[in-house]
Amino acid sequence: MKNDFSTTKVISTRTACAVLLMLLCAAVSLASVPPAVDLPQSEVLRLGERMYREGILPSGVSMPAFIRGDVEIDSSAFSCSSCHLRGGLGSFEGGVVTPPTNGKKLYQPYRRPPSLDDSHDQAGRYVYAKTVVERPAYTRESLANAMRFGADPAGQIFNDVMPRYPLSDRDMSILIGYLESFSSAPSPGASASEFRFATVISDDVSPEDRQALLVPLQKFIDQKNQQLAMYEDFIKFGYKPTIDMQYAFSRASLDIWELKGAPESWPGQLAAYNAARPVFAILSGISNLDWRPIHDFCEAERLPCLYPITDLPVISETAWYTFYFNKGYAQEGEATARFLHQVKKLTPQIPILQIVQDSPVGMALANGFNKSWHEQERQAVTTLTLTAAQLRDKTTLAALIKKHKPGVLLLWTDAALVPKLPKLSKQLPASALLFVSSGYLGKKTKNIAEALRSRIYISYPYRLTPFVGSKDGGFDAKVPLVMGAESLGDRRIVSRSTTMLRQATLRGLNLLYDNLYRDHLLDIMSTQMDLIVRDYERFSFGPGQRYASKGCYIIQLGPGANPALLPKSEWVIL
Amino acid sequence: MKSLLKLCLLSLLVALVAVILPITSHAGESKKYKRSVEKYTIPDVVLTNQDGKKVQLDTLLQGDTPVVVDFIYGTCTTICPVLSAGFINLQSKVTAANQTVRLVSITIDPENDTPKVLKEYLKRYRAKAGWEFLTGSREDITRVMKAFNAYIPDKMSHYPLNMIRSPKDGTWVRLFGIMSSREFLEEYQNVALKK
Repeated sequence: MKNDFSTTKVISTRTACAVLLMLLCAAVSLASVPPAVDLPQSEVLRLGERMYREGILPSGVSMPAFIRGDVEIDSSAFSCSSCHLRGGLGSFEGGVVTPPTNGKKLYQPYRRPPSLDDSHDQAGRYVYAKTVVERPAYTRESLANAMRFGADPAGQIFNDVMPRYPLSDRDMSILIGYLESFSSAPSPGASASEFRFATVISDDVSPEDRQALLVPLQKFIDQKNQQLAMYEDFIKFGYKPTIDMQYAFSRASLDIWELKGAPESWPGQLAAYNAARPVFAILSGISNLDWRPIHDFCEAERLPCLYPITDLPVISETAWYTFYFNKGYAQEGEATARFLHQVKKLTPQIPILQIVQDSPVGMALANGFNKSWHEQERQAVTTLTLTAAQLRDKTTLAALIKKHKPGVLLLWTDAALVPKLPKLSKQLPASALLFVSSGYLGKKTKNIAEALRSRIYISYPYRLTPFVGSKDGGFDAKVPLVMGAESLGDRRIVSRSTTMLRQATLRGLNLLYDNLYRDHLLDIMSTQMDLIVRDYERFSFGPGQRYASKGCYIIQLGPGANPALLPKSEWVIL
Repeated sequence: MKSLLKLCLLSLLVALVAVILPITSHAGESKKYKRSVEKYTIPDVVLTNQDGKKVQLDTLLQGDTPVVVDFIYGTCTTICPVLSAGFINLQSKVTAANQTVRLVSITIDPENDTPKVLKEYLKRYRAKAGWEFLTGSREDITRVMKAFNAYIPDKMSHYPLNMIRSPKDGTWVRLFGIMSSREFLEEYQNVALKK
């Protein structure tokens, strides 16, 4: 065949095997791992973690690596954790089963879960996806040999996607030291019989919103415990459970971590709660204030926080432990910038004025806009931050508009400005564009005067296409649900919490089996398939992705007292 | 000095074993990727590249030099890094011979892969000029995947696929699986030298 390995015609199989055996024998003798390096254990873990997660050697350079024989790769772009993931329990992606790399699993015999690709299929996928099915336990020596030469203790050759790493004994010892230590004991708050969870509620939250959060959470816990009771009954009558069943049912409890007073005091309160009764993860949570103190606490404690109800999340590309629904107000600002960037008639000569109410919400909207506007390589816009009192004043805003003569006006203010919009718009040229936030205006967005509705663009980060499912976010009622003006200002606390508990969190917990590690839970949740949910057009995931919904419409209002929401953009604006 | 020598020997062994293992473990088997020649009709879509510039896809894929296309995404764990390592190795080898190679990656995660994400991905792989990474609306990306007979409903179930367009007759060599850089270069040169 024309494209077969041409080299196989030159080197006979027998000769090559003999050479290979000699090389492997030599390799094994060279690959002996010396006793642990002369470093404190904490330093071994720090350096080993950097090798594992970032592909950086203790010397600071990239780990050398090869795949598919001769493809040299840069480990800083493609590290161990790319495939084996942060928790080290492996992954299933693109048809390839990547096995665990934590010491607890490595030093035991292993049989991987079955894969669809174990059988031949028409597309021939098995050819590349084939991985080792079963292997004996590793020793430190055979583990070093595996990483260097791509063969397990039984001599089985790894799949081509596994790089080969020519590491020195010292570097290898550090990496193995890390592998031996991580994901070795269950994370706090988890045991074979129980998961302990908490939720966080700050004291600025209304009783209604608090109740809206707690009802689905408590229902989730009750259902888990009810399922456990049914399972125990099942066992009592002599039925033998499957392996899946043995791990799927466990007791669950929910603590409520009430945060009182100034946000500066929250870290201390959170630490006290966590010390008194550690939990495996924080389920949801709610606050009208900046989520940062809770976010930072969870990062420091490596404690998962799953889908809190907040419109003021921390925007970070590297933070790991909090999953958010989206970027909140910042996402509305970003979408506005991307939409505006696509307006063809917008020349650099047209002045853009950004009026920002001096509040966390106003600042989040402006920060989102500015960041995205900068990414489009646009010149900075004129930004003026005004207090609520200045915005209420009849003359202040009028004077600023007269002075700056904007062709585009971004109004990141609350709904107090809505009645003033008709008068304000008269000061602007007929061609001027106005932008507001549905999140900030809330229910009063629909009070925008009809005569202005064709001029005012509104950021709206929720679903607009019909959703087939039940009102609380489940899938049990097949009735198309269409969002209208009544959804403006709705925080969707029940539906969003229900969606994520049922679909993302429960699925993650059920797939943990006996790997009760917080990082593993996040890995599972990160690598799940996209979800179609009630409140957003699409949730998408991926390692490191922490804002599940990436979309935000720019809409206008239709006519009438209960106006239709008219999309003027795609869900995801590029 | 002794440990340095040992490390050098190890590196040499890894390189040798890396070359020999694919030969020995698959001698007698067919090659580890599947090759076919296909005809594709490129849909009339405008995508966005890593610089935020709009790109007419069918125009981009034409020209008098081969173009290589794959489907990847920015936060992919297993398959995409391998495909991208193949791209960067091919780019290095072809440009070292004073030729230009045109590489086009198309994201299958358009929600997350903004031009900024695409640009950072290329930077992470130290891509040189000539490697374009494109995103677009989900509808357009789906049309493109279907046009290349590469549609998958969810990015987690994707597979390694490279396609090389012949400038001679517009046909595509479809390569399913993971190639060594030697195999990839050979396939590329076969297309480039096609008469």
